[in-house]
This record gives sequence, C-alpha cells and structure tokens, in this order.
Amino acid sequence: MRDAMGWLRRLLDGPASLGYAVLVATTVVYFAVYTSNLGHLPTSFDFLSILNTTLPLVFVAIGQSLVVITGGIDLSVGGIVACCVAITATTVDGTGVMPFAWLLLVLVLGTLAGAVNGIIIARARVAPILATLATLSIFSGIALWVLPVPGGYISPSVRMVLTNPTIPTGLIWLGLAVVGWLVLRRTRFGMRVYAVGSDEASAIAVGVPAARVKVGVYALSGLCSALAGIFYVSTTTAGDANAGAPFILTSIASVVVGGVSFAGGRGSALGAMAGAVALTLVIDVIFFAGIDPLYQSLFQGLFLVIAVLLGTGAALVARARRGTL
Amino acid sequence: MNASHDRRAPDTTELVLAPTGTMVGSQASPTARRVLYAWAAAIAVIVIGATFNRDFATWSSLRVMLVVASFIGFVAAGQMLVVLVGGIDLSIPWVLNGAAIVLTTTSLGQTGRMPLAIALALGLGALIGFTNGMGVAWLGVPAVVMTLGMNGVMQGLTLGLSKGLTCRSCASYAPQPLRELFVAKPFGIPAQLFLWVGVALFITVLLSLTTFGRRVYATGVSQRAAFLSGISVRGVTVALYTLSGVFAAVAGIALVAYGGQPSLGLGDPYLFESIAAVVVGGVSILGGRGHYAGVVAGSLTLVAVITFLQTQRVPEYGRSIIYGLVILVILLTYGRDKSNA
Repeated sequence: MRDAMGWLRRLLDGPASLGYAVLVATTVVYFAVYTSNLGHLPTSFDFLSILNTTLPLVFVAIGQSLVVITGGIDLSVGGIVACCVAITATTVDGTGVMPFAWLLLVLVLGTLAGAVNGIIIARARVAPILATLATLSIFSGIALWVLPVPGGYISPSVRMVLTNPTIPTGLIWLGLAVVGWLVLRRTRFGMRVYAVGSDEASAIAVGVPAARVKVGVYALSGLCSALAGIFYVSTTTAGDANAGAPFILTSIASVVVGGVSFAGGRGSALGAMAGAVALTLVIDVIFFAGIDPLYQSLFQGLFLVIAVLLGTGAALVARARRGTL
Repeated sequence: MNASHDRRAPDTTELVLAPTGTMVGSQASPTARRVLYAWAAAIAVIVIGATFNRDFATWSSLRVMLVVASFIGFVAAGQMLVVLVGGIDLSIPWVLNGAAIVLTTTSLGQTGRMPLAIALALGLGALIGFTNGMGVAWLGVPAVVMTLGMNGVMQGLTLGLSKGLTCRSCASYAPQPLRELFVAKPFGIPAQLFLWVGVALFITVLLSLTTFGRRVYATGVSQRAAFLSGISVRGVTVALYTLSGVFAAVAGIALVAYGGQPSLGLGDPYLFESIAAVVVGGVSILGGRGHYAGVVAGSLTLVAVITFLQTQRVPEYGRSIIYGLVILVILLTYGRDKSNA
C-alpha cells in the first residue's frame, strides 16, 4: 500500500506529470462533449478508432522524446515515416510469412535511416535541427520515388495482427511500447541517454560514449518512425508519400505537452505518449463539438502553448512551495 | 544549449568586430570567412549549372533566379535575426500566408484601400512576431514551441476566418498599382530586387552600425554576459521576433503582388527554405555569428540548385533527394560545430 502511494507520488511529481494531467483533462472534455452532443457515452467502436488512429503518432512521439532528452531534435521523422509508409504500401502483400518478412525489412531500413542521422550529428558534429532538415528532404524524395501517387495495399493478415478493426490488438502494441520504454530506461543505455542530455561534457568526462549513445538514440527514433509508418498503412489500408509531413510538428508537440524539456536530460517517453493521445483527442473534441474543422490547427496551437505555460507555472509553484518548506 | 553560449564567450571581441571588418583571406574573421564560403557555394552552383546548360548563367536566367531568391531572402532576413540570438521562428509560413490574405481581402483590389491593406498586413506580422517574442522572452516558452504553436494558431485563424479561402472577398486580387510596382523593370532590373537591396541595407545597417546591432550579437554570444553588462535581453529578443513577423508579412505582400492572388499553403515551403538559407549563408544556428550578406548568397544557392535540377528535368523525387544532399554537403563543409564537448 505504502509502495503504491510512493509509486503514485513519483508518477505525479515526475516530469511526465504534465502529459498525464493534460491527457486526463482532455479525456474528461472528450467525454463531456461526446455525451452532450450524441446523448450516449462513447462506444467501444469509438475507443478502437481512437486507439488505431493515435498509434502512429504515439510511436513517433516515443522516438522524438528520446532524441529531445539528449538535447537534440529530429525533423526527419516526417521523411522516415513517409519512406516506410511508401515501402510498406508497395511490398507488404500476400499471405504467409512473406508480408512479415517485408515488415521486418521496413523496420531495419527505418533504423538505418535514423542511424545515418545519428552519424551525421554525432560524428560530423552538425547541429541536429540542420542535419535532420537535410535528411528530411532526402527521405521524402525516396518516399516519392517508391510511391509517386497515393495508393498501395496491405496484406489483410498483417492488418488483423496490427490494427484489427474489431478487436483492440493495438492495445497489445501500445502495452509493448510502454514496457519497452520502462525496460529501456533502466538499461545502461537508458541511463546514458539522460546523462548525455543533462550535461554532455560531464557525461564524456565520466566515460560515457556520447557519440555512440546519440547514434543509438537517432537509430531508435528511426525505428519508431518505421513502426509508425507500418501502423499508418495498416490503419488507412493505403499509402501516401506525403503522409509523414504532419508527424514532424505533431511529434514535437506531443513531446512538449508530455513534459520533456527542450534543454535535454528531463522527461519521459510515457509523457510524450500521453501527449500524443491527448493531441489526437483534441481533434475528436473539435469534431464532436461541431466546430468547423478548419479551426483545428488553431486549437492544436493554443493547446500546445497553454500546455507549456501550465507546465512552467506548475514548476514555479512547486519550486516556490519547496522553497518555503 | 545555454551552456555552450557561455563556453564560447572568449570569441566575443572577434565577433563584435566581425560585421564591420572587410578582411579577406587567411586573416578573415570566422564570420567573414563563412560569408565568403556562402558566396563560393552560390557561384559554384551557378558555374556547374552553366557548364551543363549554357543559358543557365545568362542575365535573363539569373534575373529570374534572383527574383525567386528574393522571396526567400525576405523571410530569411527575419529568420536570421532570431537565429542570431539562438532562437528560431517556425511561425513564418502562416504569418506569411495570413498577411497575404489580409492584403487582398482588405484592399479588395481597389487602389484607394491599398495603404490601409498594406498597413494591416504588416501590422498583423508585427503583432504575431511581438506575441512570439513576449512568449519566448517573458514567459520562458521555448522558441520552437512558441512559434510552432503560433503557426498553428495562425493557420487555424486563416483557414477558419476565410472559410478555406472561399469567402466572398477572398477572390479579390492585389491592387493594380502594387502589382505594377512589382512587375516593373527600371533599367532592366526587376523592381522586386530593389526592395531586396533595401532589406539587405536595412539589416546590415541595423546589425553593423547601430548599438542595437551590437546588443543583438552580444545577446547571441552569451545571454547572461549580455544581461550582466546591462543589455535588456528581453527587449532585444521581443524586437527581433517582431521584425521576423514583419519580414514574413513583407514576403507575403510581395508574393501576392507578384502572383496576383493568395493561395492556401503559400508560405509552407518558406519554413525550411528560410532556415536553410540562413545556415547555408553561414549564420551559426547557436546564435551570435552571421551576416546578411551570407544569407543573400544562401538564398541564391538554394534557388540555383532548384532551378538547375528543373532545367535538367530531374523528377520531383530526385530534386528533393539532391536538394537535401547539397544542403548536407554544405553543412559538412562549413556548418559544423567546433566541438561538442
């Protein structure tokens, strides 16, 4: 019991608490708006559709949060997602083992693309925002080469496993992502990610191979983008070479709402995941509230700025309270 | 990032001298050298283009490239100012688009309403820039977040208020005198380029010859040192973001005057192009170093690369890949940090 309380307090005191708070608030608003407009509670179909549409962003947000924790930023997620969407939508077909072998290849390609970013950033010492800006253009071009016009297909057997339209298989993958992060954070690599993010010079001084950690982090971000691409095709059952672009800004927004500090060294991928779900819910809230969808980005923008201001305000209050004690 | 600002403090004297210095060669300051690299890159691209296609470097072709580059030059002017203090402005696309739509919908194509329309468009840019600056400097919101959020706010407002550009006044054109002004070619030089020269002079004078300019570089090198020496860091930051908003609006007005009518997504390409032009132009993304002369070369380089690929009939995917590779090569040549540690 006491253990559970301590765990709860750690959860609420942690940097990701902003993400959880925003997610809870958005969920409450979602329920209120949905119920008052449709006269009944959201059905299991609604939950399933939210789950499946939010999964790609959740994955990109995990990768982006890892990068931001090291003090970097990854703009090329848009390009890697687009690339993987294009490759998935043109290759993953048929039955048996083949489609899954192709999926594995897509994941490997995404990881390699991310590793290229990492090498440019860590070994050639180009600022992350610039390096990934250049590779974004390259990866987007490759996506357009693979899939010049929107279309493509995906094997139904893959779809049944990834985003089954009737049973929430997405929950399994979401759960695996959460567990994956909880494990990763406790590994030596996870510790080093935070060390590099909070003070790179000190981290190097105590023997952390900072360059290798960064390459690893960007490679993981590439892997997450590849997962996002696969889940995107699985949900929409078709591909589009321009599908990746929105993920650049929404993944950064998720990370920010999730309480990950842009100065590096602070935050958790769980917060970013909560931020990603909240950001997707906002769109549903706007839809069910009968607001013209043209105003969608207005609310997303306000949501972003206000969430950060709330986070800053909460931190100030917490610091003031600690000061008086 | 803040820590690295302080660590580069010993460079201060060199940096403050750099903008006014015109040294060339081995004694050149890092800033002057980066400006030279930027021009070398621009000339290299044009020379490569000319070897493939003899018409590439003719005056008529260069003139078109310069006009296209000038739009990037306008937004990059604002982007450079905020990058100089270690910030970034991601709200440029929809500030530009919003200003362009405000111009046509308030002027309704009538000459008499033109001054009001221009004032409103510029005012919108200034207001959004000011809000960005206040958010970054006073509320402590990270620049990426503040300007990203503002871009969303402007996009939503622009789309919503103009009903997706289907409102009744949305079909109107830019006033005729404004359009003629931008199509005019005194002495065979497009009038647009005179405006660009004006912007370049303004930025150069502001940064190199005024106290404000010195404060900008000082703030960019080390915010804490600047603050301790009595500079209103917050005031400087707000002023720079406001200017960035104004320059985005200028680009919006110029684009509408040039094309006649605004479209949705008019500003979208200018987000990454403004950042790329600034960096190819030798401005340090960490702040504190850079000169607009380099940014001019950077804008020209980007446009020359795109134009070259178009004349070679490279398909869109190839253009995108090669464009990225060129930027990457330029970054690896002179866009690298001295040291990470």
